[in-house]
Amino acid sequence: MTAARLSSDLFNAALFAYIAAMVLSFAYLAFRKRPFHVAALTVGWIGVSANIGSIVARGVAAHRTPWGNMYEFSSLLACLVVLAYLVLVEGRYKVQTVGGFVFAFAIFTMALATSFFYVGPTDLLPALNSYWRQIHVTSMIVATSLLATGCVFTILYLVKVRSERREVSVLRSQDPPPILGGSVDADAPPDYVPGADEPVGAATSPAPRRGLPPSATLDRLAYRFIQFGFPIWTFGVMCGAIWAQQTWGRYWGWDPKETWSFITWVIFACYLHARATAGWRGTKAAGIALVGFVSLFVTYYAVNLWIAGLHTYAK
Amino acid sequence: MSSPASRYTLRQSVALVWRTLRSMRTALVLLGLLALASAVGSLLPQIPNSPERVGAYLVDHPFWGQLFLRGGFFDVFGSWWFSLVTALLFVSLVACLIPRSRAMLRAIRQRPVQAKELEALPHHVAFEVAVPPEVAVERAQRVLRRRMYRVAAAPDGRGVAAEKGVLRETGSLTFHWAFLLLLIAVVIGKGTGYTGHATIVEGQTWTDAAFNYDGDLRTGRFSSGQHTGAGIHLIDFEDRFRTSGIPMDFASEVELLDANGNPVRRDEVRINHPVGFDGLRIFQYGFGWAPIVVVRGGGATLSDGPVVMVQDAGADGNQLAAPGEGFVKLPTLRPQYAISLELIPDSTAFIQSLISGVPQPMTQVRAPFMRYTLWQGRILDPSLNGLDTRLMHKVSTGIVGRGWTVDVEHGCVVSGTSGALPKGLARTVCPAGAPAPALTLSFPELRQYTRLQVSKDPTVPFVLGAAILILLGLVAAMYSSRRKVWVRAEAREEGTVLQVGGYALQRKDRFEEEFPKLVADLRAATGGGRREREREEAAAR
Ligand code: HEM
Repeated sequence: MTAARLSSDLFNAALFAYIAAMVLSFAYLAFRKRPFHVAALTVGWIGVSANIGSIVARGVAAHRTPWGNMYEFSSLLACLVVLAYLVLVEGRYKVQTVGGFVFAFAIFTMALATSFFYVGPTDLLPALNSYWRQIHVTSMIVATSLLATGCVFTILYLVKVRSERREVSVLRSQDPPPILGGSVDADAPPDYVPGADEPVGAATSPAPRRGLPPSATLDRLAYRFIQFGFPIWTFGVMCGAIWAQQTWGRYWGWDPKETWSFITWVIFACYLHARATAGWRGTKAAGIALVGFVSLFVTYYAVNLWIAGLHTYAK
Repeated sequence: MSSPASRYTLRQSVALVWRTLRSMRTALVLLGLLALASAVGSLLPQIPNSPERVGAYLVDHPFWGQLFLRGGFFDVFGSWWFSLVTALLFVSLVACLIPRSRAMLRAIRQRPVQAKELEALPHHVAFEVAVPPEVAVERAQRVLRRRMYRVAAAPDGRGVAAEKGVLRETGSLTFHWAFLLLLIAVVIGKGTGYTGHATIVEGQTWTDAAFNYDGDLRTGRFSSGQHTGAGIHLIDFEDRFRTSGIPMDFASEVELLDANGNPVRRDEVRINHPVGFDGLRIFQYGFGWAPIVVVRGGGATLSDGPVVMVQDAGADGNQLAAPGEGFVKLPTLRPQYAISLELIPDSTAFIQSLISGVPQPMTQVRAPFMRYTLWQGRILDPSLNGLDTRLMHKVSTGIVGRGWTVDVEHGCVVSGTSGALPKGLARTVCPAGAPAPALTLSFPELRQYTRLQVSKDPTVPFVLGAAILILLGLVAAMYSSRRKVWVRAEAREEGTVLQVGGYALQRKDRFEEEFPKLVADLRAATGGGRREREREEAAAR
């Protein structure tokens, strides 16, 4: 079997494993039976392994680093999103109920890759063969996966905030759950002004046995991922500028891909500010993150598909 | 009748504007506007990047096109309103950075302040230790210093106040100031620099002067218009392709000359390997064919030199399969003449294309030849970029191989009948006793030319430096957190009781893990006992 063939077989295996893991994760979210969670994690790890195998085989087949075109970007993006989820969310933050959404995102990315972007492993133009290009592309994909994961949590946060508001109005007789952040932070010292770091939302769910984790947990996860991704995005854009300076003789030319990476950067900077601005914390800041999510996708896909520019070689 | 607004004194209004600019909300709105303006710039065609698409837009949508043109929407990044938003952001940044920086300097100079009620802090423990209070405080200071806290002992010698995480605000300020520096450096660099393209044929020398650029020289707004006068002599151009026609590498071997024309050094300009010289950056941009063409008539040489050939990518986009096109214009003759030339550098690939119907890339030199067409009439456009034949008529056509001389008027070969010519192409030799030709065309040599991008941007190092500072500041700000810890030792009947309290302003979940470790260190240093640990755990609960 050729490496190219192996790569696409493993890609399909990973896609199916992610689909299975998504179904199992949603089953765990709905029924809270441990075997679902164990199975989802197992299948998820199998999927990631297949995904990594597919990427390596692709690199072997093309004799270069396997992130040279949109198909390859997408495969790596899915891989990193799932990996970030398994290692950070499950491993470090011990949040177990949101996997289905992350797998859904990975499936969406991979499905786009096979349906719109598939190309065989081929050579690259010499302009693309730069050391800086490798670093640039790698960090952009890593940052995209982190920011996108953060945005998935932002969506979940907004969903949860709504349901908490509904539950609180139903469960009026009980004490309202403690609210983290804002002016009612129970353990904050008196002179304390909440910064971007401070999670917003209810620390505990009124009905903790069902549904998503409490909104404060989701908000913290969203912020952590975006905070992790933002400097990497910054770094990636800078490496891109260095590469452009080397190849085209200008570090910045407002080519559509450059423009959109700047827009995305500015929107996430807005998000970080909004989190520290009174009156903007909470759902408004989350709204900005969602605009960032859209911008991320425009940067990642739409620019290549619809807007022409220097970066179109990476179709 | 005074409106409320006019009741403000000038001073008050300025203060109000300044306060508004200083608020984070303003920064938020300005950043949003910047993003929005950029989005518009990427969705509409832009004059600096694709003027032809702007032209097409103006033709297709005259009303909106004119409106957008007036509003600067076809050059968003050069428009006054984009500059305005940037300038406001700039002022806003300065306005908020100055007080923040002052406050930070003050905070750094200030020693950590003592606290009274440690029990009220989010994290708090108390335990008995084996040493007297003064010693315990002394040792606690050492432990905290080792953990990189800034410490201050209480005046009574029974307490320590400690703080950590100046890096957070320092990092944030570094980031914001560096962003400002980046803006300034970019504006100065783009404003005083220039960039354009230079076409140089092998064996020729090009000099950095405004009129030597290929007509697309872009000069910054505040440029003095001065050029360096540095010279670039092209010794050799080399290209390498795969058999599929995919390019692998392009390199121009050049000799660099100072403003007086003295050679300074040799260098190689390659894809991704620009060369810096005399404040200029030189990049490999493009390349093409430049046959040497000699035209003689009436005993004189009318034209002798390389003709820069342009290869137009056809409908299939395969530029390398297209013949090169170039022109020789003879405006001094009466009537005027012009010769249009079509170069086939690789006749083997050319014949293959004809046979198979699939255009083959012509990447090697194999029996090169040119098809020529002689035109007579009036030359309307003296430039060599094209030929306007509206006032001309065709006199003759023919082919000229490398090393041949042809009689252009009669379309026959005078000399140079040797040399391979692919099968299927006819060669008409001039009849033996014919009169001497009035106009001859020779093709002695086929050379290549290189297109280099030549740019001057004096602030690139500053932009890079600012970018590095932005990154360092950002990471420092995001991954550090401010933490405050207090220790108090009290003498009781049972012995000394050490109280430890603290909180974190950011990353509280991390501090939750850090605090017990700090307490363990303090306990180890002061000889805190086991019994007390239980008490402390009860207290934590
Ligand atoms: C008027 C102008 C500005 C003000 C008053 C301001 C203020 C602040 C403050 C107070 C923070 C700390 C937030 C926290 O508690 O975490 C912050 C963070 C940040 N600012 Fe600004 N800023 C301004 C302009 C900008 C601009 C123009 C950018 C870049 C486009 C920017 C990017 C950031 C980023 C990325 C952070 C997050 C870093 C961190 O968490 O420390 N800011 N800003």
